[in-house]
Amino acid sequence: MITGQWPYGQSEERAVAHVVVSQLYKKYGELQVVHGVDFEIGDGEFMVLVGPSGCGKSTILRMIAGLEGVTGGEIVINDRMMNDVPPRDRDIAMVFQDYALYPHMSVRQNLGFGLKMRNAPRAEVEATVRKTAETLQIEALLDRKPKQLSGGQRQRVAIGRAIAREPQVFLFDEPLSNLDAKLRVEMRTQIKRLHMSFKVTSIYVTHDQTEAMTLADRIVVLRDGRIEQVGTPEELYARPANRFVAGFIGSPTMNFIEAQVVEEGNGLRVVPVGGPPLAIPKSRAQRYQRHAGRPVILGIRPEDVTNTWTEESRARESAVPLDVAVEISEPLGSDTLIFARLGNAEIVCRASGMSAPVSGSAIRLNAHMDRMHLFDPESGMAL
Amino acid sequence: MTTIGRTRLADIGTYVAFGVICLFFAGPLLWLVSLSIRTSAEIYVSNINLWPKNSTLENYASALNNPLFPIYLWNGLKLAVGGAFGAMLFAAPAAYALSRFRFRNQQLTMIGLLAVQMISPLVIMVPLYRYMDRVGLTDSHVGAMMIYIAVAAPLFTWMLKGFLDGVPQSLEEAAMIDGCTRFGAFMRIVLPLSLPGLTSAFVLNAILGWSQFIIPFILISKPGLLPIAVGIFNFQGTYSQTSTQILAAASVISIVPAVVVFLVLQRFIVGALMSGAVKG
Repeated sequence: MITGQWPYGQSEERAVAHVVVSQLYKKYGELQVVHGVDFEIGDGEFMVLVGPSGCGKSTILRMIAGLEGVTGGEIVINDRMMNDVPPRDRDIAMVFQDYALYPHMSVRQNLGFGLKMRNAPRAEVEATVRKTAETLQIEALLDRKPKQLSGGQRQRVAIGRAIAREPQVFLFDEPLSNLDAKLRVEMRTQIKRLHMSFKVTSIYVTHDQTEAMTLADRIVVLRDGRIEQVGTPEELYARPANRFVAGFIGSPTMNFIEAQVVEEGNGLRVVPVGGPPLAIPKSRAQRYQRHAGRPVILGIRPEDVTNTWTEESRARESAVPLDVAVEISEPLGSDTLIFARLGNAEIVCRASGMSAPVSGSAIRLNAHMDRMHLFDPESGMAL
Repeated sequence: MTTIGRTRLADIGTYVAFGVICLFFAGPLLWLVSLSIRTSAEIYVSNINLWPKNSTLENYASALNNPLFPIYLWNGLKLAVGGAFGAMLFAAPAAYALSRFRFRNQQLTMIGLLAVQMISPLVIMVPLYRYMDRVGLTDSHVGAMMIYIAVAAPLFTWMLKGFLDGVPQSLEEAAMIDGCTRFGAFMRIVLPLSLPGLTSAFVLNAILGWSQFIIPFILISKPGLLPIAVGIFNFQGTYSQTSTQILAAASVISIVPAVVVFLVLQRFIVGALMSGAVKG
């Protein structure tokens, strides 16, 4: 349990920061890794930078921290241009992937190091260390050295060291990726609790979309050093800007099916290659009208092809019955993943967990066409 | 043959090889000790007896009673420790730069450093003497120390780089975010963490300096400035009769400090040599 107030108890007066990153570029020799990135983080906001490895997310974070030079563009924290300000003067704190606890110092010294470096009076350092340790429930560990701690304890100390400093901005560089799955979920919740109580502007880098979705106020999705989309978790999930974001957010990943939009009598249909036509709901027909006759990529999430609907939702126009042959079913307890064929494509559906259908059997599912997406096959952009 | 039998045979082979190698290196040393406890009459006997008929410790007494002997020891210590310390001062920043910064031709620099190490002081003996003579640094401990430093610095740099590579960069970065300058992070975080490595590299280089012969032999001729390694060599000329046994005794005394230091700090020294070889 996290009981939250700043160690100093000054949460009321504490300045919160907003961060503006504009036209940020980074080049290593000839290799350009960040291509003109723009985003803004509001006071107290929790922003997650997410993307596959090599997308430049850590580089951006390190530029904000001042650990990497900026090739072009600006980093502004609280209206102060930070490009050439050394890390120690940026009033930030960072939690590293490998914790980066000073091995020759005790937990107490690790927690107090930042304050000591800022010439805080000894009594104040001690009080803050004690308060921080209480907050993170690591009081019993204060006299231990980092190597005497478990992974989870080290991570708490690393977070504690950042908190003790009372920075304007928290930076997290994949802080949970060295922990096992169970601990990761626990620490994720703890970080969320901490943020809810402290409300410090935070920038969090991860490649794990679940972490991004659960922690973020807003998410920046990056690919190859460019921003693909910025938005709240709900926005990214419900209205992905392109096929990349659609595929990156959500697990299992969205089904992508080659299809064609056709106009048939009274309505518009999307026809998967080799599959049955699926009616496009009236609410969305107008939007796709101009794509009639063109090839598209139909995107639909596994949870939107299901048999777990209530009568009410089934009655809605958008529920299109879909008979599929089960190839493989993976019971997860709460629900069952069904791998089946739709025309030429293999799709994943999320059916109820109560009874897993056997391989080879036929099953009727409902495709929630209200929630499907159409993408341009060439540009990948959402239509 | 069973696996156990084969393993045992391999073990025996290893021990035999070990024994041969040990004998090869320990042989001369044992012979030296044997010579050092002989009387002058027994030095030139033709049959080889490792333990002489009339063993004596008198040779040690006469070596130690030579008024120059303690001075040789002191000079040797001064040059060895001063050389190692100087080499550390030059090597530490170089090793830090090679470990932490990326720059053009970095690999080449590292290999270049090692290539310089390959040149034997013997090869440069004549130019080195003429050069040092011209700048007036012969017969001077400062001059000799400069060459000690130059000779030791490349190896020292390689060793220290290995140790610094073992200190994660994120620790320094964390310190810089926590309020340190780069130098502050080096002093407060990197240095304390690489202290074991630094110590062992220092000790190893001091031992190498202690046994340095060629450089002081070329550069120093005044008896009062000679380190032990060259000083005992001069013993040969100072005694009228056969002096081999006294020379041997002096040699044994001269290697004792190095052996003792090595035995006491063995773990450290092996660590210095192994640094970077095994991912820790």
